[in-house]
Amino acid sequence: MSTVDLSQFHKTFFEESLEGLDAMEAALLALDSGQTEPELVHTIFRAAHSIKGGAATFGFADVAAFTHVAESLLEEVRSERRGVDEKLIDLLLHAVDCLRAMLARSRRGQPVADADSEALRAELVRLVGGEAAPPAPAAAPNAASVAGWDIRFTALPHLLQSGNDPLRLFRELQQLGRLEVLRAVVVDAAPAQLAELDPSQCFLGWELRLHGAVARADIDAVFDWLDGDCELAIEPVADVTPAALVAAPPLPVAPLVAAPAPKVDPGPRRIRASAAASADGGSIRVSVDKVDALINMMGELVITQSMLSDIGEHFDQSQLERLREGLVQLERNTRELQESVMRIRMLPIASVFNRFPRLVRDLEHKLGKQVRLELHGEHTELDKTVLEKIGDPLVHLVRNAIDHGLETPTQRRAAGKPETGTLRLEAYHEGGNIVVQISDDGAGLNHAAITAKAVQCGLIRPEQELDDAEVAALIFQPGFSTAAQATDLSGRGVGMDVVRRNVRDLGGSIGVRSQSGKGSVFTIALPLTLAIIDGLVTAVGEERYIVPLISIVESLRLRPDMVRKIAGGGEVFHFRDAYLPIMRLHRAFGCAGAVTDIERGIVVVLEEEGRRVGLLVDDLLGQQQAVVKSLEAHYQRVEGISGATILSDGAVALIVDVGGVVRLGQQRSEAA
Amino acid sequence: MGGTRTAKKPGAEPPAGAPSPAPASADATMLVRLPADCRLAAQAALKAQLQEVLQPGGIVLDVAQLERIDTAALQLLLLFRRELERQGGTLGWCGENAVLREAASLLGLEQLLNLPAATLA
Repeated sequence: MSTVDLSQFHKTFFEESLEGLDAMEAALLALDSGQTEPELVHTIFRAAHSIKGGAATFGFADVAAFTHVAESLLEEVRSERRGVDEKLIDLLLHAVDCLRAMLARSRRGQPVADADSEALRAELVRLVGGEAAPPAPAAAPNAASVAGWDIRFTALPHLLQSGNDPLRLFRELQQLGRLEVLRAVVVDAAPAQLAELDPSQCFLGWELRLHGAVARADIDAVFDWLDGDCELAIEPVADVTPAALVAAPPLPVAPLVAAPAPKVDPGPRRIRASAAASADGGSIRVSVDKVDALINMMGELVITQSMLSDIGEHFDQSQLERLREGLVQLERNTRELQESVMRIRMLPIASVFNRFPRLVRDLEHKLGKQVRLELHGEHTELDKTVLEKIGDPLVHLVRNAIDHGLETPTQRRAAGKPETGTLRLEAYHEGGNIVVQISDDGAGLNHAAITAKAVQCGLIRPEQELDDAEVAALIFQPGFSTAAQATDLSGRGVGMDVVRRNVRDLGGSIGVRSQSGKGSVFTIALPLTLAIIDGLVTAVGEERYIVPLISIVESLRLRPDMVRKIAGGGEVFHFRDAYLPIMRLHRAFGCAGAVTDIERGIVVVLEEEGRRVGLLVDDLLGQQQAVVKSLEAHYQRVEGISGATILSDGAVALIVDVGGVVRLGQQRSEAA
Repeated sequence: MGGTRTAKKPGAEPPAGAPSPAPASADATMLVRLPADCRLAAQAALKAQLQEVLQPGGIVLDVAQLERIDTAALQLLLLFRRELERQGGTLGWCGENAVLREAASLLGLEQLLNLPAATLA
């Protein structure tokens, strides 16, 4: 057995582990949001357990050792010996980040453990109640555990104005370990006269020592939002000896220059770590259904092929017709196979949406805002390429919405809104597109600031009056940012123009609707080139139409007494206390031989944006997933049709654009 | 440090226009009562109040009522003490206050503020 080369499985191990970490993260965030199902804890535990098992099997001792401690901690949670609080979740989220970084490093063949991971492991060990961890592997002899950190922190004058009180920071540091102030000074820049002091400016500097095995990332997290508000240097105290303490160089009162922290990898920022690690993967996981479909097609292809070779062997003129049939069949098989292969590239948008709960949580903490994140339509499938490229623009929009859109709890209260802002992400099919919407109930676009900035940039003349749509269009101009000062979140050069360019590169479009005080809605429409929908196949005369399942409220056969004719030739029917217009699909699309008698057909009640309409078809044939082909690309745009698909028997079926049909029906009933 | 000759108590109310302590004679010790909330919003008034009492004599800060404090307030007091001593005055404290104690100790400013060593009770 020893001859088996385990390295061939490494790739799978990394992928599965990263997925496990994603699952852990998602479950942790669910716990954090107040859900209490024991299943969540089990999920986290199982993920940790499999990573540990895999790591041990494949010789990643560091990863195994780290996960082992995390697992012990989780076991205490699972057996209800330990409660779950925010601190624990923070810690475990850090562990997830740390594991991701470790996996990334082992994949690159670098030493796996670093000071950060060792510090975190030590903290986990401490938490588990002094349980002996497996001995630290010899692979990382240099990653000695950190005994503490020396932090030099000098406030810049505007520190307090950004709402950052050192008191709060120090309290947070105290949460991590024992905090000792080695020295506190008033910087030289401080005004000599009391009279000249602006109390809102800060002129203090500190030399701190944080005792204990604290993870660097935890300290970074405390200072995270002080970027540009202070001068900061953090260095590990390798071995605390009194001598080292005495020998510490005196704190320069003038600006402290950040000294490089030895052996501490400042690199992998938390959120990005996973993306970076998986970007090179180049593999996707495919559901068994899709693979089964592929195998079926393959089987048919083989049959066709053997039939053709049979003909070829004993060919004479009489078999020409069979040959033709065979070739047609081959063509169909090939096409279907091609589609099935394409379908493998379709992935649910959930894989992009799933990174937002963590992002939102981090931003909430960072910006002191309260955000409720709603995700809808995670199962909407997108081509893998589109999916990969839409991630960054979406992240940018989400950050923007939280940073600029949503107000602080105080401002919201003052505006008479609930303190918690709502950020909603939604993906759905509409009118031949996949639409992704990011909406918030924040302050909306700042009309005045945008106009002023536009005048300043020379985009418009000062006397020009702009309506909301024109103002909205301005924010997509290159280099346009009204942020008073660049935060590290948004407003750093990468603006909405980049978002728009990314979306356009995908053949899509982006728009924004904003209402002052009510919020903004960013709508990204992406082309449906390869999208798949769940559809109901309906028969109308000789033809078949596919109605997206998601828009169907109900299907019913009408009794004569439910139908009313109205002036102008329109028809309505009574449905749940309302009269809905009837759209005769055969009439709208001119189908021959269809059922014209309403009582003999079936009415499918469709809903779009709260409006309903009844669609008359002959019959319902069944449910089917349809690979949507753009009609525009092959023919031209047709009102009421979002695309076409090819049914299993090779016939073309058109897909009904519910939005368009409802609009048509509405116009008709209004005209009537 | 505890016993104090009290010259005059400026009003304890959140300072809207600092009550003027009488321009005391050179050596008089004056008591300045810090308001309950010493955070940023109150500091312009507090600063004005402290500026007025700047004199070569002793100043005693009464912290009994203090409930809320921030770094800026401690900095203000710190710079006040610095200037006071430059002018030949001294800063003393009256009353034990846990909030002040905790904040000053966390920021390591106890010495710079001349806070007396912690007294029990």
